[in-house]
Amino acid sequence: MRITVRFFASIREEVGLEREELHLHEESTVRDLLKVVREAHPGLRDNKKLLVAVNGVRSRLDRGLREGDVVALLPPVSGG
Amino acid sequence: MIKITREDFSVDEVVRDLRRREVGAIVTFIGIVRGESQGRQVERLEVEAYEEMALRELEEIRKRALERFGVEEAVIIHRVGALEVSENIVLVAVGAAHRAEAFEACRFILEEVKRLAPIWKKEYTPEGSSWVEEGEG
Repeated sequence: MRITVRFFASIREEVGLEREELHLHEESTVRDLLKVVREAHPGLRDNKKLLVAVNGVRSRLDRGLREGDVVALLPPVSGG
Repeated sequence: MIKITREDFSVDEVVRDLRRREVGAIVTFIGIVRGESQGRQVERLEVEAYEEMALRELEEIRKRALERFGVEEAVIIHRVGALEVSENIVLVAVGAAHRAEAFEACRFILEEVKRLAPIWKKEYTPEGSSWVEEGEG
């Protein structure tokens, strides 16, 4: 299935990309996606130091992904 | 009303829009760029947002504040882009019947924005630049 990954702020700089398209096996989870992203971008930080949003909603690492999902990798927030 | 914008905002305009018959108290909070951070001189900030998600989070925070404190209206405006020292970053404005709930709702909204909204600050100092990521912003 096809997934869009978006990178923000310091994670965007670690990876050197704003977004990329990935093809993952059916029944992949967010954790599986992070593994694939980390293989391509070894500079990506540890899972514990990032937040994940699927289609704009905070998500756990065991969430299953679906064709067309947009997965955003977010560093700890610092707005306000 | 909620907004994420590169443009500056007018506090006067927001306050004017909050004046209505049921409102007896308006509290505003304005966050601005401080020229110092953890002992370092800050020259400017770069603010980035995941806009689609941030708008949804801000609207959710606004609705929770209206319900929880029974205030009449709440406005949240957050800027993005390059911001110089002393420029506006964020505005929270609450109109309520009485001062107690206006103050409480304003504080609540600001703390929730800092805790939840996918927005990041990058500080530029004479030594280089770094992202703020440990709740010290």
